[in-house]
Amino acid sequence: MNKDQALVARLQNKALKDSAFSELLDAYQERLYWHIRKIVVTHENADDVLQNTFIRVYKSINKFEGKSALHTWMYRIAYNESMRFLEKNKKKSYDNIDEISSNHLEVLFEDEYFDGDEIQKKLHKIIEGLKEKQRRVFQMKYFDDLSFRQISDILSISESTLKSTYYTVVKIIEEKIFL
Amino acid sequence: MGKSTENSNKDPFLKKGLQGNIAKHHKTYLGTNVPEGYFAKSKISILEKIKEEQQVVEAPKKQKIFWLQTKFRYMAAASVVFLLSLTIWLQNVKSNTEESQVNVELLSFNEDVLLDALLIDDTQMNAFAEATLINEVVIKAELSEQNLDNLILDSMISEDSLLDDYLGNELIENIIL
Repeated sequence: MNKDQALVARLQNKALKDSAFSELLDAYQERLYWHIRKIVVTHENADDVLQNTFIRVYKSINKFEGKSALHTWMYRIAYNESMRFLEKNKKKSYDNIDEISSNHLEVLFEDEYFDGDEIQKKLHKIIEGLKEKQRRVFQMKYFDDLSFRQISDILSISESTLKSTYYTVVKIIEEKIFL
Repeated sequence: MGKSTENSNKDPFLKKGLQGNIAKHHKTYLGTNVPEGYFAKSKISILEKIKEEQQVVEAPKKQKIFWLQTKFRYMAAASVVFLLSLTIWLQNVKSNTEESQVNVELLSFNEDVLLDALLIDDTQMNAFAEATLINEVVIKAELSEQNLDNLILDSMISEDSLLDDYLGNELIENIIL
């Protein structure tokens, strides 16, 4: 039994649940925060979604059957919560992606907790200019340091598709960043 | 990954992996920050929120009146169904016994009549039968004859009066014209 499996066993035990949940927060809170932050852009939004994510994890942990790894399951919840948040706030729309992208960038650059320089802003602009799927794959692989297998479980996309998508994006960024 | 344009174009902009510190990576390459001590505060906030949620979930359970509980509802529904089926069954049983009682009475009556008939003398039976038959036949025959006579007389009278009326009208019209 690995560390995560032991943690799940304790989380599913009513008497040990609270202490185990505190450990779970220590282990995953920051990783999930950054994952959410890249999707919902601002710190304030990320904070809300992070709370909702952990509340959902706490409520659903008894339904977790261990078919995927614990962190993959939690990332999937975080991703779904982020998407739900975007839909709720009507910021996510595939009809007019340019408008949405520019809106995201404006919101990000105005955020109190963003202090990027020109090159960082440029990287954000390139990332925002990517297709929705390309963006998510790149962010999960490069910034969240998830394996292709884990991303495949979260996004329900085959590993081979993910690999080709990721390397295409890397190439795009390398080409555009110093232009 | 370089933070400025000082990087040579020969070096790849994107490194192969994060190699650990995700927060540093986000700060360095994306320029995104979090408030100081955010994660400690956020952890407390999440734990508090979960406690609140638990209280909200538990509170209505305590306040729930016993007859509004799901178990009680099922029991009540089962009781109603049981009582209804019991009533229908009892009614069926009662009507069956009544019918059987009636049948028994009829049977006993029939048996009495048959037994009585056996005990009556044949001459008496013949006399009773003749008297009954004669009365029945004579009375019915007389009544039917009377009816037939009345019918014939009525038809004759009405036909005559109609013919008189018609002839009278025709004559008057001819005279006038």
